[in-house]
Amino acid sequence: MRINVHALIGEDCITLDDGQKVHNLILPELKAGRPVEIDFEGVGVFASPFFNAAFGQLLRDLPGDDLNRLIKVDNLNPVGRSVLKRVIENSKKYYSDPKYRRIVNRVLDEQAANA
Amino acid sequence: MGLERRFLAVPTVNDDPPDFDRLFRLWNQVNDDYLEVEFNFSQCRFLRQNAVAFLGGLARLIEYRGGRATFDWNTLQEDIYTNLRQNGFIGCFSAGRGPWSGNSIPYQEFQEKRKDSITSYLKAKWLGRGWVSLSPALRDAIVGKVWEIYENAFEHGSSPLGVFCCGQHYPQLHLLKLCVLDFGVGIPSNVRMFTKKEAVSAAAALRWAFRPGNTTKPNGMGRGLGLDLLREFVKVNQGELEIYSHEGYGQIKEGRERFLDRSTFFEGTVVNITFHCDESYYHLVSEEQTDKLF
Repeated sequence: MRINVHALIGEDCITLDDGQKVHNLILPELKAGRPVEIDFEGVGVFASPFFNAAFGQLLRDLPGDDLNRLIKVDNLNPVGRSVLKRVIENSKKYYSDPKYRRIVNRVLDEQAANA
Repeated sequence: MGLERRFLAVPTVNDDPPDFDRLFRLWNQVNDDYLEVEFNFSQCRFLRQNAVAFLGGLARLIEYRGGRATFDWNTLQEDIYTNLRQNGFIGCFSAGRGPWSGNSIPYQEFQEKRKDSITSYLKAKWLGRGWVSLSPALRDAIVGKVWEIYENAFEHGSSPLGVFCCGQHYPQLHLLKLCVLDFGVGIPSNVRMFTKKEAVSAAAALRWAFRPGNTTKPNGMGRGLGLDLLREFVKVNQGELEIYSHEGYGQIKEGRERFLDRSTFFEGTVVNITFHCDESYYHLVSEEQTDKLF
């Protein structure tokens, strides 16, 4: 699968919702072991919520080695790449820190109970 | 039921901490339901971007609480009147007095998190007016980092009024400023609720919020990088970031950061940032493209 992010999202990749759109497209492919190519040509602005949703949460379902093998990112500008790397670093910590996840899960349960 | 009338004098407002105290005192005086407030400018010698954004937000807060807010434009000094006409503030609160096409950065209200409206404000009205000589890459880098402020304000402020902002350009100093604020619950309140530690001071809560990975809205995924990325960008580029929420105050300036508790309380959150309008202050990262991502 090849995704043209500019055509799908536009020139600003900054929101959680937009990141989720990309995530929803690529996750089934990756789970099936099929490679995805993601092209950021024409995208200029990047912020962490987009990458958290698009890529960060992939680590919940798949190991990093598989993701490195299956995902190819093209034309991502240096600022975008640096934000993405920070997001992935943070996400690795998040999914490997049981104490932190316990707190998060507790809060999510409380939010669900109060909804 | 009649509205209770209050006449408030808007003071001269720069953007140092005592100036924010003056704004927060005004907030304290209108923080009731069903008020009819008239703002008078006869004691005001100048207003900075923070004051414009704050006054606009105050007027909307009064309206939201069933009251009415008016501004006595006749009491404005001529130069302030010109600036407030140019930046659209007067047009927002007075029909038929729309913005002039001057050099002011517009006052703006965003009720909802609409990325296209906010990024076009930042790109075209704040950075892209010809007074800042920035490459497209740097412009985009700044917009991405400043977006994190809006993201934070909408996501965590949870104010039905949305977010208020105004910018200012200081040509002599080659500085560009932006103030973004909300009248929501404030960062300390969110942090105390999330951590279940009621005793956390406002300053400690702000410090917590700037630490990478800390977020009060995880939504089942790793988050909490926005303020850290912004802080890093401001540090590298020798800008300044100030944040006020409850009694907490945070400042990132000249590569140093400090968080402290002050005596004045404001329930929402105000972020005031300063960037240099000079490409030489900026060092965009250049990373090895072949590095493994995951």
